[in-house]
Amino acid sequence: MRIFKIFIVILLFSFPLTINLQADSEKMALGLDVYNNKAACGACHILKAAASEGNIGPNLDILKPTEEQVKLIVTEGLGVMPAFGEEGILTSEEIDAVSHYVFTSTNK
Amino acid sequence: MKKGIIKKIDNSKRNFLTGSVTLAGVAAATSVLPISIANANHKDSSPKGLPDFISWKDRNALIVHSDKGIETHRSAIGESLITPNRNIYIRNNMPTMSDTQIGDRNNWKVSIKGVKNPKTFSLAQLKKLGHTTMATILQCSGNGRGFFAHEVRGSQWKTGAAACVVWTGVPMKVVVDACGGVDSDAVFMTSAGVDHEPTGLDPKKAKVERSVPKKVYKDAMLAWEMNGVPLPNAHGGPLRMVTPGYFGINNVKHLGQVAFTKTESTVKYMKSSYRISPIGKKGSQYPSCWEMPVKSWITRPTDETGTVKAGNVQIVGVAMGGMKKVRSVKVSIDGGQSWKKAKFVGPDLGKYAWRQFVLEANLAPGSYNLASKASGGGKTQPELRMENRRGYAHNGWKDHSVNIKVV
Repeated sequence: MRIFKIFIVILLFSFPLTINLQADSEKMALGLDVYNNKAACGACHILKAAASEGNIGPNLDILKPTEEQVKLIVTEGLGVMPAFGEEGILTSEEIDAVSHYVFTSTNK
Repeated sequence: MKKGIIKKIDNSKRNFLTGSVTLAGVAAATSVLPISIANANHKDSSPKGLPDFISWKDRNALIVHSDKGIETHRSAIGESLITPNRNIYIRNNMPTMSDTQIGDRNNWKVSIKGVKNPKTFSLAQLKKLGHTTMATILQCSGNGRGFFAHEVRGSQWKTGAAACVVWTGVPMKVVVDACGGVDSDAVFMTSAGVDHEPTGLDPKKAKVERSVPKKVYKDAMLAWEMNGVPLPNAHGGPLRMVTPGYFGINNVKHLGQVAFTKTESTVKYMKSSYRISPIGKKGSQYPSCWEMPVKSWITRPTDETGTVKAGNVQIVGVAMGGMKKVRSVKVSIDGGQSWKKAKFVGPDLGKYAWRQFVLEANLAPGSYNLASKASGGGKTQPELRMENRRGYAHNGWKDHSVNIKVV
């Protein structure tokens, strides 16, 4: 009976964690999808996690940008890099996701 | 795996980048110059090494922001006027062209347009046409961006996106004269690189084409040698436009065309990039990064060189006048409360080069803020930076000061 109670307590405490992990996993999946397809980031950037080897912009594994830095540059662009946010190429949800994906993938 | 990922990219969704070119072109281009970590010997224990295309540079002299943005340490800018090639910063908008892409260097072609008799010259022909040597300062428009308080996109350069370089090449005026002179209705000299071509990207977005006022051609040159060696590919070899007194971006690398035009180029790198606009604003109505302002900074001692022994200390730095000769430089050891005139040392290589300065100070143990303030062309460095959106053209002396500890 006591073991059962402990199990219930662990389950209750781990539930939000599970939700968070699932949410993060979904955000990472969307981020990867945006990286590979809609934004085609890999055509210009190296990122080991995505196996991309573009050589126009900086190597993201070396740059190791913060999530905020990625958001800003994806939103406003830089040089040949389009302003994905300002030009309406990506939604804010997609920008959040790809920024989270790039940050998480390069700052392990 | 890599090809799989690249192939997954939806071609129809990426026309914002490539215009009409194919993705295969990009994939092919990106495979030409693979970047890999050559070494990892940095003093600050950073694992960031130098990319292959500049593996010949001195890693210990450089701060690697990214494989495309590499800065010279404040203390490694060179104390003999000229910055050694192995210490010079890297800021390239397009990937450096490889030997294979460049081919026979003497057969490199540059077209001259907007002149009475438009011509195309090979590098070998240019070498027969004329010859000159000149020292100029190469400085990225964003040098000093790292001092801005607001969040600015781009490499966070402090002082090291700058170098003093001796160029050898042909005066632009000689080239123009060989073409019968500039068209009478021209207003700008517009230089274009060809380093975007192997990438297959849309030239409107990727071509580095810069317009400067027409008058610049009278002092400009087409350079094929940099500090005594053939112009390295990483610095725009085999041929580069040199626009003395103008920010680095106007010194177009891998030069393919110089045209005298009625209007400014409409490519992105001219129309919207490199515009000095207020924070929160942007647009082609704002001034372009053209003429460099008067500026100086201390290169020794610095916080990079460790504690300083009490007694006589040589405070050394570099000072530039921008478009005019630098006339004087003052140094402060108390954060700008009092100033003493420093002494210029070494040869004067002309108004477009920097001068080195030194002030001997007797320093007791304690903490000091060292600052320098240059004057030239009737202008003196301001105390504060000119706030602007992209962190360009910073020449305020306060941010460029250094804190040292004397023991």
